[in-house]
Amino acid sequence: MNWLGLLMLRHDRAKFGAMIVAVALAVFLMQNQAAILSSILLMTASQIRDVEEANLWVTEPDVECFDQAKPVRDIALHTVRGTPGVAWAMPLLKIDTLARTRGGKLSTVCLLGVEDSSLVGLPRRMRLGKAESVRERDTVLIDPGGFSLFFPGEPPSLGKTIQIHNRTLRVVGISDASPPFTGLPLLHTSRTTAAQLNVAEERSTTFILARSKPGEAPDEVCLRIAERTRLRARTTDGFARDAMWFYGSQGVPMLFMVTIAIGLVVGAAITGQTFLMFVKENARSLAMLKVVGTTHTQLGWMMAAQAGLILFLGSCIGSGLAAAVCELMRQQPFLRGLYLPVWVAVWTCLSLAIVTGGAVVLSFRQVQRLEPASVFR
Amino acid sequence: MNPVPETPGSRSPAVRCTGVYKHFGEGEARTEVLRGVEFTGDLGKLSFIVGPSGCGKTTLISLIAGLLSPSAGRVEVFGRSTADLSSENQTLFRRHNLGFVFQQYNLLAALTAAQNAALPLLTAGVPRREALRRAGELLDRLGLGNRLEAHPRELSGGQQQRVALARALIHEPRLIICDEPTAALDHASGESVMSLLATAAVHPDRAVIVVTHDTRVYHFADAIAHMDDGRIVSWESPGSRKPSAQPRPSP
Repeated sequence: MNWLGLLMLRHDRAKFGAMIVAVALAVFLMQNQAAILSSILLMTASQIRDVEEANLWVTEPDVECFDQAKPVRDIALHTVRGTPGVAWAMPLLKIDTLARTRGGKLSTVCLLGVEDSSLVGLPRRMRLGKAESVRERDTVLIDPGGFSLFFPGEPPSLGKTIQIHNRTLRVVGISDASPPFTGLPLLHTSRTTAAQLNVAEERSTTFILARSKPGEAPDEVCLRIAERTRLRARTTDGFARDAMWFYGSQGVPMLFMVTIAIGLVVGAAITGQTFLMFVKENARSLAMLKVVGTTHTQLGWMMAAQAGLILFLGSCIGSGLAAAVCELMRQQPFLRGLYLPVWVAVWTCLSLAIVTGGAVVLSFRQVQRLEPASVFR
Repeated sequence: MNPVPETPGSRSPAVRCTGVYKHFGEGEARTEVLRGVEFTGDLGKLSFIVGPSGCGKTTLISLIAGLLSPSAGRVEVFGRSTADLSSENQTLFRRHNLGFVFQQYNLLAALTAAQNAALPLLTAGVPRREALRRAGELLDRLGLGNRLEAHPRELSGGQQQRVALARALIHEPRLIICDEPTAALDHASGESVMSLLATAAVHPDRAVIVVTHDTRVYHFADAIAHMDDGRIVSWESPGSRKPSAQPRPSP
């Protein structure tokens, strides 16, 4: 019987099309906003997650996220190294400073200085050049967003120079580092080079990156480090979670959530209303089906099949559209972190299905109340 | 709710209405539509219920079909009081035992002639291919073998009513209820539809009840019940064409 319901639905092309478009637009709007929100939140922890070698981060106690650069005492590094359960620990220096090119381009940059010998903290993937090249003095790796900002319109190439505090730094690689939440160009260099550019601070360690020994519980090692250093030690996941929570509680996500909610309500309202109109206009046919012996259960499944087809087609079109727009936006270097996570796509489609399902249930109640004797009138 | 079994030798009426009253609304809005109807519809016969508009014909067949419940009195179809059945069982009872022909055909615009005719079988869970095959055969017998894939809008009024007739017959019900089957048709088409109804539907183990006020087709009737003001006021026997003042209720 379900195919019969689908034939009835397909026959009313105007409403069938309107419902698919309503679902598609609602899914697109919800997924687009949810993708931007989730990508932004993930970006707040992108530099933390990029460092795969370390699984522990040690910071000043009041540091909530990666962008709060508050240096720790240099001596703390040795204390961390001496903590039972720590396999190794390396310093990472983070400086937010002003950089410019010979062509006059000027921007604040996020400069990360990694320990010279181990290079712990360098990006894992490179688009051009070798990461190890930063061992050479006065050299940097730059991310794609930074390159496009400082050298607009030029193809990616090595050997270009950037000036920071009157020191000239040569670009020896273009990294594929995850885009930072701040949207600033991201430069990686050796700690030695970075320390010479660190004119505002005496301390030359912003974060201590460490690895727990195999068999040691990272959380317990964190407790030991905190006890010994009076600093805050967190696992990579814990620090990333804190960063996302810190930015997530600033209010911006609420704006996205409002838009997502509007998409959900408007999409479900239009779909539900059109479906109800479809049912009302087909009331005589549905009454006739009841007269010839179609049970409410059969009619319920028919309507479920109709709603399912609308949601499936609308969700496919809407998700495809959202993915395509994300892909287009990702072409912008600073938006390269934007993507549509599968869970966002599934969640938005499911939530719309649930709300629309409610509207379909209301329509079904109309069908249940439909007087079969009305076919004789 | 399975089909009511045929009982060889049993000639009890297919439909028996005893003292049936029906009103709609309450208080000042209360309208008495049926006022003590006595009616029988026999197996193997084409029984007409005729009368002016508003006399209660449609309400009576709605009661017989189990689509409405009587306010008082008893409606029995094949010995069962349909009002005593649950809503679900009434639906299943109609599915297996009743066929319907409506004034406005009530074909589904989205379906082809064959699909429309196959509806009762599909509702009963017969596989689609088998249902469509049987619908095709029946439509062929009714002269629509070349219009199986046509949609209702592509068919004339007479052809649509023949599809509706096929829909009423396909599951071989024991009672067929027709509501003004010729009202929307011209004389020739009406004659044709009634002729098909008389030849294809009338069967020793099947009763056919036709509600109509189309006097042009009265000659097809085996029995005619005249209704007025919510009552059966007279019966007309086949051939005699003389209305009898006495009702013709139960055997």
